[in-house]
Amino acid sequence: MSETQTKHDFEPKIVAYVCNWCTYLGADLAGTNRLEYPPNIRILRLPCTGRIDFNLIVKAYEMGADAVLVSGCHPGDCHYTSGNYHARRRWMLFRVLLEGIGFDMRRVHFTWISAAEAKKFQEVVIDITEQTRALGPYGDFRKLLEAPVC
Amino acid sequence: MLNDLRQTARQLLADKKVDVVIGYGQADPAGPAYPVFITRPEDTEQLVFNDRCYNNLTTFLTRKEIRAMGRAAVLVKGCDAKSVVVLAVESQIDRQSVVVIGMACNGVGQPSLAKCRTCDVHMPRHTDMVIGQAADHAIEAKDRYAELAEMMSKSASERLAYWGQELSRCVKCYACRQVCPMCYCERCVADKNQPQVIKTSATTMGNLAWQINRAFHLASRCVGCDECTRACPAGINLRLLNLMLAQATEEQFDYRPGMDKDAQPVLGCFSVKDKECFIK
Amino acid sequence: MRIGVFTCWCGENIARHVDCQKVAEAIRNLLGVHCSVDYKYMCSDPGQSMIREQIRNGKLTGLVVAACSPHMHLKTFRKAAEAEGLNPYMVEMANVREHCAWVHHDREAATAKAIDIIRMAVAKVQQNRPLAAIRVPVTKRAMVIGGGVAGIQAALDIADAGFEVVLVERDPSIGGKMAGLSETFPTLDCSQCILTPRMVDVGQHPRIKLHTYSEVEAVNGYVGNFKVTVRKKARYVDITKCNGCGDCWNKCPQKKNLSEFDFGMGKRTAIYVPFPQAVPARPVIDREACTMLLKGKCGICAKKCTRGAINFEDQDQLITEDVGAIVAATGYKLCDIGKDEGRYKGYGEYGFGRYADVIDGLQFERIVSASGPTGGEIKRPSDGKTPKSVVFICCVGSRDDAKGCGYCSKICCMYVAKHTMLYKHKVHDGQAHVFYMDIRAGGKNYEEFVRRAIEQDGAEYHRGRVSRITEHNGQLIVRGVDTLVGEAMTIEADLVVLATAMRPADGVESLAQKLNIGYDEYGFLSESHPKLRPVETNTAGVLVCGACQAPKDIPESVAQASAAAAKVMMLFARDELTREPEVAEVNEQTCAACFSCVRGCPYKAIDEADITDRQGRLIKRTARVNPGLCMGCGTCVAICPSKSVDLAGFTEQQVYAMVESLV
Repeated sequence: MSETQTKHDFEPKIVAYVCNWCTYLGADLAGTNRLEYPPNIRILRLPCTGRIDFNLIVKAYEMGADAVLVSGCHPGDCHYTSGNYHARRRWMLFRVLLEGIGFDMRRVHFTWISAAEAKKFQEVVIDITEQTRALGPYGDFRKLLEAPVC
Repeated sequence: MLNDLRQTARQLLADKKVDVVIGYGQADPAGPAYPVFITRPEDTEQLVFNDRCYNNLTTFLTRKEIRAMGRAAVLVKGCDAKSVVVLAVESQIDRQSVVVIGMACNGVGQPSLAKCRTCDVHMPRHTDMVIGQAADHAIEAKDRYAELAEMMSKSASERLAYWGQELSRCVKCYACRQVCPMCYCERCVADKNQPQVIKTSATTMGNLAWQINRAFHLASRCVGCDECTRACPAGINLRLLNLMLAQATEEQFDYRPGMDKDAQPVLGCFSVKDKECFIK
Repeated sequence: MRIGVFTCWCGENIARHVDCQKVAEAIRNLLGVHCSVDYKYMCSDPGQSMIREQIRNGKLTGLVVAACSPHMHLKTFRKAAEAEGLNPYMVEMANVREHCAWVHHDREAATAKAIDIIRMAVAKVQQNRPLAAIRVPVTKRAMVIGGGVAGIQAALDIADAGFEVVLVERDPSIGGKMAGLSETFPTLDCSQCILTPRMVDVGQHPRIKLHTYSEVEAVNGYVGNFKVTVRKKARYVDITKCNGCGDCWNKCPQKKNLSEFDFGMGKRTAIYVPFPQAVPARPVIDREACTMLLKGKCGICAKKCTRGAINFEDQDQLITEDVGAIVAATGYKLCDIGKDEGRYKGYGEYGFGRYADVIDGLQFERIVSASGPTGGEIKRPSDGKTPKSVVFICCVGSRDDAKGCGYCSKICCMYVAKHTMLYKHKVHDGQAHVFYMDIRAGGKNYEEFVRRAIEQDGAEYHRGRVSRITEHNGQLIVRGVDTLVGEAMTIEADLVVLATAMRPADGVESLAQKLNIGYDEYGFLSESHPKLRPVETNTAGVLVCGACQAPKDIPESVAQASAAAAKVMMLFARDELTREPEVAEVNEQTCAACFSCVRGCPYKAIDEADITDRQGRLIKRTARVNPGLCMGCGTCVAICPSKSVDLAGFTEQQVYAMVESLV
């Protein structure tokens, strides 16, 4: 990510994987309504939360993300009927693995944000950014990145 | 028991019901048994079964070279029998064309392996026959995952440090993948380089990414034969990763892979009632 | 790659918070970027002309437009590219307006973020591949499932527009529930008088093929190309030979079977036509009642038939119909409150099923109907006495979560008002009582109709619930409460009519699964969007209309049926469908054939397939995506452990390139 100069010492990098039909449009609406939020988030548009593979989450941290947001349509609202249900079940288990290996669970977020919930999108992004800023860079994890094997 | 086994195998081959019997042989009675592939009735004398028969032989059922030998009979312990069930559910074997010989088992290893201490399938299930007798007793779910409790009592950063330490020893030999009956993909995602999903460089992160990938691909599929752990030359306790997901699968979906051949798999399915307390 | 990046100012909208010139400069140095320009309005004519010129002169092979949301203008820029001969799927947008300039007011930070967003888009477009729209032929022939008023309307509309229709009806005749109604609200015109001519139209229509006494067995294929297997149940009567003379059913000795058409209020023979105006007016033999079929004794009908139309050896037949669209119009049934059934709890306290004189609304319709078992005279079932006091109870089952149906059945308020009027018109000295929760009479002339029932025909309306019905010396004792008066009340009634909840017809869930469409917790079929796509479903080419989608009355069912028919005609107006090419594809070489994707696909768009050599020997098995069915959600990609399936437009290459650009 490009260097961002602001008042803070630490600017967290946040990667968001969002579905095209709900959260992406919710973010669009936040724009239309001029709802301001911190610029730390980078949004990747995917067709559906069902498309989001767990390896993508791991990859985001590998690429230096300090937190990851996964967001899609509320249950029952999936543009593709059930992609979000598949995603939900996947995260039910994947979270357990992340937690088990000692991943900092305060750095991975799952939300349902509909196309109308611009306000919720703004609040979530503010929350995550502030929380991650307070946590600081994910040094524990980055160490692994650099740690050579014996 | 041994006579029954050899007799059964001999008969299957003599009657041309199968072309190969996948079983255990042993050169040194004090050493571990190894897989043997018996194709002639007269060779069935080589077959053994004892507490040194570690291998989960079902992993061979999906191998091209074994398939080329024709119809197979395979020896399974209770734990291994579960992988036959999963392989059939996942269309990897035609259950009707494989003869599954269950072997009553009171545990392998001296002392017994961790999996054997909480085993509730000493008598294999869903097999075509069972040779021998063993007593099964119910194990409480919490006892199955007792080893995890200790690990989970540590803080997250201690756990991450532990796995960082452990995985710094990983040499990515992929023995864990090779030995696993559920890792039957023709091209593992780890070998895919467009894009490079899993980092190949020799860093702990790359090793961790691989193990996360391996463990999660086994989520709600791993039957807990622990062959990965036994195969690991670096002695990494991979069992713990599998246990985490097995526990979650049992707690959240009341599902234990390979126990019930008619149960609906967990992933690739969903329920509108799935819990979502973690989603805001 | 020769990528052109076009950063839009959007007037002041983007330029106010993002330094577009700085952005264009920063992007210019990226690998693969041939040109990077900024301009005030990219979407304007001069803006688009500039882009087209750059494509032409710069021989661009990829395009990134950094402007507003792709939901706003991606199509615009794809069209512009296409006009210049560049494949439209080589165009990506970077959303620097909604996701950046409009939400970040720190100019420096917003500019930095805009650069990141564009870098991601450039990384993605480098992995884009030209795609071609998928063309699917259309079979211009529709199937309508269900021959009630909704199905009849849909079938006639489509057939009158010039397309062939296959109408499948489960019962021996079309007509559905409406054929059994007496008179209809709010006009009190005779139901059969308006419906039977439409039924005859269906029977005689040159473009409608009618399968009665038939059910849908299996549905394969996809929009424009469905193959539907229909089970024609053994009728034991060859309807091509039969002329409907009636000699068979008049002589049939098995006369004591409950008539389904009369909802058990009347009797019929074992060989029967359900009602005189049936279409087709050909009999069917009830295999559960005919002694010839059960015991091999009798055969009188065969002896009487001069046309040799009776065939006791008849078997169910499976036939396949090729159709391009399917309309589900399977209608409703009334809740059986006499017994518990899954989530639905019985109303033991109302004695339905135990007391002969407690009946439901449809049974009452048959009692007042001129064609009914009593010839239109109101006689109660137990002893044939004319009831002098009738209690009607609304919301029985409906709006009662404790009994399983939380919803309002919508038509009961109206038909109860109608029942009280019909009753009063026939039994002048009788008194109708109604227990209701609220009167919901929204609709043209509906409220006026209810007022008439109360004011002119003297129905007594009590706002409250009935707690219990007991029987005493042939009288029904109805104990309830009138909450407006605030008093418990007891009415001695000769007959009680329950306005029971409307539920989807039996078997609708299994049909929905065959059609791969959704249904709600009650089994009502799900429309694609509650407001904007009320007759479409989530499976392209499958439409719904009538009471199978939600409780509704006749005019609404008919309107919805015509809407569904219009959607079918829209589909049939073209010879070919073009579909977005952003669909999944399996790498059959590496597919391990675990078929998790087959299980997970929300559209059942993935099949198990065999790859064979020239001699037909199996080489391997594989999953295979049907591009006609795939909607491009990518659920399969995440499910596939070996990543042997990928989604065009959002390939693994593209997505990882985007993440990796975020270093």
